[in-house]
Amino acid sequence: MVFLSIPADYIPIAIMFVVAIGFVVTTIFVTHLLGPKRKSEIKLDTFECGIESQSNARLPFSIKYFLIAILFVLFDVEVIFMYPWAVNFLKLGLTGFIEMLLFVSLLMVGFIYIIRKGALKWE
Amino acid sequence: MDLIISLIPLLPLAGFILIGVLNKKLPKGMVGIISNTTVLSSFIISFYLFLSFIKGADSYSTELFPWINAGGLHLGLSFMVDHLTAVMLLVITGVGFLIHVYSIGYMQHDEDYPRFMSYLNLFVFFMLLLVMGSNYVVMFAGWEGVGLCSYLLIGFWFKNTDYNNAGRKAFVMNRIGDFGFLLGMFLIYQTFSSLDYKEVFEAAKNYPKGDPTITAITLLLFVGAVGKSAQIPLYTWLPDAMAGPTPVSALIHAATMVTAGVYMVIRSNVLYMLSPFSGEVVAFIGMITALMAATIGLKQNDIKKVLAYSTVSQLGFMFVALGVGAYTTGLFHVVTHAFFKALLFLCAGSVIHAMGGEQDIRRMGGLKKYLPVTHITFLMGVLAISGIPLFSGFFSKDEILAATWVHSPLMFVVMAFTSLLTAVYMFRLYWLTFHGDFRGTHHQQEHLHESPSVMTAPLMVLAILSVIGGFMGMPHWMSEKLGVHHVFNEFVAPVIYSPKEFILSHTFDFSLLIGTIVALAAVYYFTRKMYVADKVVPEEDSETKSFQKVLANKYYVDEIYDAVIRKPLDAISEMFYKIFDINIIDGIVNGIPKVTNLTASAARMLQTGRLGIYLVVMVIGVIYLFAFKLLL
Amino acid sequence: MNTIVILSVTGIAAMMSDVFKLKKALFGLSLLGLLIALVFSVYDWGQYATYFNQMVLTDNYAVVFTTMLIGITFLWFLMSKDFFSSHSSASEHYALILFSLTGGVMMTNFSDLTILFLGLEILSIALYILAGSDKGNLFSNEASLKYFMIGSFATGFLLFGIALIYGATSSFNLQEISAYVQQHNGSLPMYFYAGILMILTGLTFKVSAVPFHFWAPDVYDGSPTLVTTYMLSVVKMAAFAALYRLFIYCFAPVYEFWIPVFAIMSAVTMLLGNITAVYQKSLKRMLAYSSIAHAGYMLMALASPGGTSRSALMFYLLAYAISTLGVFNVLYQVHKVTGREEIKSVKGLFRKNPFAAIMLTLCMLSMAGIPPVAGFFGKYYMFVSTLNGGLTWLVLIAVLSSLIGVYFYFKVIIAAFQEPELENTAYYRQPSDLTVLYICGILSLLLGILPQFVAGLL
Repeated sequence: MVFLSIPADYIPIAIMFVVAIGFVVTTIFVTHLLGPKRKSEIKLDTFECGIESQSNARLPFSIKYFLIAILFVLFDVEVIFMYPWAVNFLKLGLTGFIEMLLFVSLLMVGFIYIIRKGALKWE
Repeated sequence: MDLIISLIPLLPLAGFILIGVLNKKLPKGMVGIISNTTVLSSFIISFYLFLSFIKGADSYSTELFPWINAGGLHLGLSFMVDHLTAVMLLVITGVGFLIHVYSIGYMQHDEDYPRFMSYLNLFVFFMLLLVMGSNYVVMFAGWEGVGLCSYLLIGFWFKNTDYNNAGRKAFVMNRIGDFGFLLGMFLIYQTFSSLDYKEVFEAAKNYPKGDPTITAITLLLFVGAVGKSAQIPLYTWLPDAMAGPTPVSALIHAATMVTAGVYMVIRSNVLYMLSPFSGEVVAFIGMITALMAATIGLKQNDIKKVLAYSTVSQLGFMFVALGVGAYTTGLFHVVTHAFFKALLFLCAGSVIHAMGGEQDIRRMGGLKKYLPVTHITFLMGVLAISGIPLFSGFFSKDEILAATWVHSPLMFVVMAFTSLLTAVYMFRLYWLTFHGDFRGTHHQQEHLHESPSVMTAPLMVLAILSVIGGFMGMPHWMSEKLGVHHVFNEFVAPVIYSPKEFILSHTFDFSLLIGTIVALAAVYYFTRKMYVADKVVPEEDSETKSFQKVLANKYYVDEIYDAVIRKPLDAISEMFYKIFDINIIDGIVNGIPKVTNLTASAARMLQTGRLGIYLVVMVIGVIYLFAFKLLL
Repeated sequence: MNTIVILSVTGIAAMMSDVFKLKKALFGLSLLGLLIALVFSVYDWGQYATYFNQMVLTDNYAVVFTTMLIGITFLWFLMSKDFFSSHSSASEHYALILFSLTGGVMMTNFSDLTILFLGLEILSIALYILAGSDKGNLFSNEASLKYFMIGSFATGFLLFGIALIYGATSSFNLQEISAYVQQHNGSLPMYFYAGILMILTGLTFKVSAVPFHFWAPDVYDGSPTLVTTYMLSVVKMAAFAALYRLFIYCFAPVYEFWIPVFAIMSAVTMLLGNITAVYQKSLKRMLAYSSIAHAGYMLMALASPGGTSRSALMFYLLAYAISTLGVFNVLYQVHKVTGREEIKSVKGLFRKNPFAAIMLTLCMLSMAGIPPVAGFFGKYYMFVSTLNGGLTWLVLIAVLSSLIGVYFYFKVIIAAFQEPELENTAYYRQPSDLTVLYICGILSLLLGILPQFVAGLL
């Protein structure tokens, strides 16, 4: 199955590009043109949800947040594999089932590792 | 069989490695046992092979592993044992073993005893490699190996600069010869596209007699032989090589290594047969060497130097035999010479041992009563080398003389005279050492003693061999009478290509015999009168006069070489050094690193350590790549 | 395939061993796993089998390289016994090495561009972490970060290249691509060639060829010594195996397009590597540059593909890996005792341990390419095959640059035989610390004496 492609096939993508970039550029410029320009001290101050800003935004935070977040992403992404598998479940048959079991058990091993290592302990 | 054959050289090698690695960690007794048993085992195996040859075996060959495969050249590290090799094997391992035994006694108290024994084993290994190789390259490997061992052992007492220089001299002289050997090998390969004995000799048989290429090959090979076997003009290293311990002189510089050249010529007899001119050259060089060395031997006063010159002279005899085409005779002389010359050297060692290191025969005399065993065995050696009838030297030397007579009467005369000289200087040595009054210091006299039995036992064995060893090659008239054949000739015959017969009339044989007896009797009488009855002692070096001085100074050959070769070479090389080397070569040699260094320090600057720059350069690289391949 | 499975399982087991308080068994377990993998790898010899929907292809080429990779890793484990056992997260490090090796094995067995990519990433990601495994050392952190940044940058190129190739040929499979290229040779779109160049960029980055080599000195120098050893031996071998396999199996029909690229790259790489190495005072950094130079020699196999280049590359890689292990064993011990990694810190080795000095000399000679050790034949085979390919100028440059190499390799040999400078130059605490050096020295010598045995395999 070979798709012969000619440059014309890419025209929709090109249009997409132009529109996307065009939109961004126009909005930036247009807001500058349309918006009223009033400069005062308060106007130029750092804007933070209407509350006065407290300190530098780059605060050190506990690595635990990061760890949990990363682990969440990891396992979350792995679960995505389930979707195509579920769709083709009948087609893949027993082999597919066993393969998925293997996959999940490997995930499980990783999970055990994380727990035993204490990565999820908060204190 | 393959394994057994390979074991012959590998056992001494194993001994070398074992002793060499463990060195002083081994008890001295173990060192002796290891080095001796390995050589003895090789001897036993050799003897077994020898017996199988007697029973009619043809030849054995085995390839350990393919060694060099380049283009059309296939060389294996392969061994071949035929009749010639079998004889050499017996000599090397047999005499080698006796000398090993002797060394236990002689070197026991040296602090480097293990090193010495390991070198000896290594030497035996290389010597075996030399004679067992089935192609010229393996022979050459052994050839170089024995040269190395010789160098190591001459300079064994390396704290003495003279000894080191002697070692170096031997090495350089040998290198000159090796160069010829190498060129010869190249020419062989170019001519026959092989270096394997069998193939080369088979191919050579198709060449006409007197073919110039073959003559060139044989002459080049002979240059190698001249170096290794100490012939004119490359013989001067051998007397200096006496700096090594006496067992070394016996084993390497008398019995085995120096006969490698003879072995090589015999091995290549097919080629030499095809080139009568080369034969003439070989015989001529041999003759001149024999005569010259014998005359020098007349006036030497160092017990080992006399023996050294006698070795050179005897090697000359062998080459004369080879030159006239009497290959088996040459080999026969190799064998008998190995017996009596090893014996003489070992006796000399025993004497030196007793004299506390003294080697000058002017300081000896009357040792007969102090060293009875050494005396008797030494006398046997002297009788053998002088060619007293029924002693081994007689048979081999007589054969050589007979062969020269057939070849050219003039040569016969020279050689007969030379063998007379041999008797003269040997008897001179004998009388001066063992008879008359003791001329050494009082201190030396007190310490005179016979050597331990571990040293005298080999002497006795060698003495017996020197006496009876000749009967394996009895002359025609004798063998006819006894109904025994010339055993030796018959044994070696298969190796020789179209052997010549040197049959003389019985009248000549007998007159030769009678002449020998008469001449030797005269020598005996006159030398005895001179050195024992009249108590003539050679004068001190400063008092020597006229031609005698020339002889004592060895014809000034060393000095001539120094003036003719070394000095001009030094001058030229100094000139080149000053003009060419310092300015041009050094300029280039130092210039390249300078440029490299500059480039390196510049290139180093590229490595800034900044990630951004790395990425930018990488992208630039990719852009170049695309520009280079896609846009252009 | 069995090899890959066994290695992964071993890796997982190593990772879990800490969790289940089996840390003591870790070392033995890893070695056992490697041995079993080695056996299975050798067992595949002579077979031609595909697995996973033709994504993995095990042929003799793959078997030889897989075996070499596992064997070298085995030696590496022997050498690094004490390093990781004293480390708090030893099991993780072992696991990472084993995973990385699995990636390497995938890279030698691939028959599909996705597997190539997967293998490369498994190999690399483990290494990014390992490069920074000396957490307290700022240089180690720097190495890790740099390696990761530039590595992912290069991976981007590789992926883009794979995508372009797929766009042009609509396949990931090497055989299919090759057949397609064969069929449409001459009428291939330009972005196919762009794809080749992109892949070339991504992979030559891994083998540290100029101009994509900038990360190499910093990373090799900054990483813990043992990790550097692993990168120089195993990773280089895997990357070259993959590079050669890809270009020979897949892009061979358009060889005229990429040969000049490799030829020029090879020449520039060996020159720059050797010249820059001259200036280095640190032994480790010198070896890092020398590894760049060696990559240049190895690229010669791609500049003259076909003929004997395959066995030449294999032999060269083996000789290089073995000598690298030997030299780094010394370097590691020296570093452990003296805390320094300069060339002059090996001074006095001969005095302390003559045998080790001789073995080190053998390894250095092998690197310099001097007979009778393995490295000489590596270069010899490589030069012969390049000459047969008609690139005389390249061989000329190679010979010249290896002359430069001799200079700095000999600096190490000379230092080893000099008198010691420091008092406490006890280079090894136990005799077994230098076992790998001995093995490597002897192997180098053996390969140098009997090169035909190994070179004849491919």
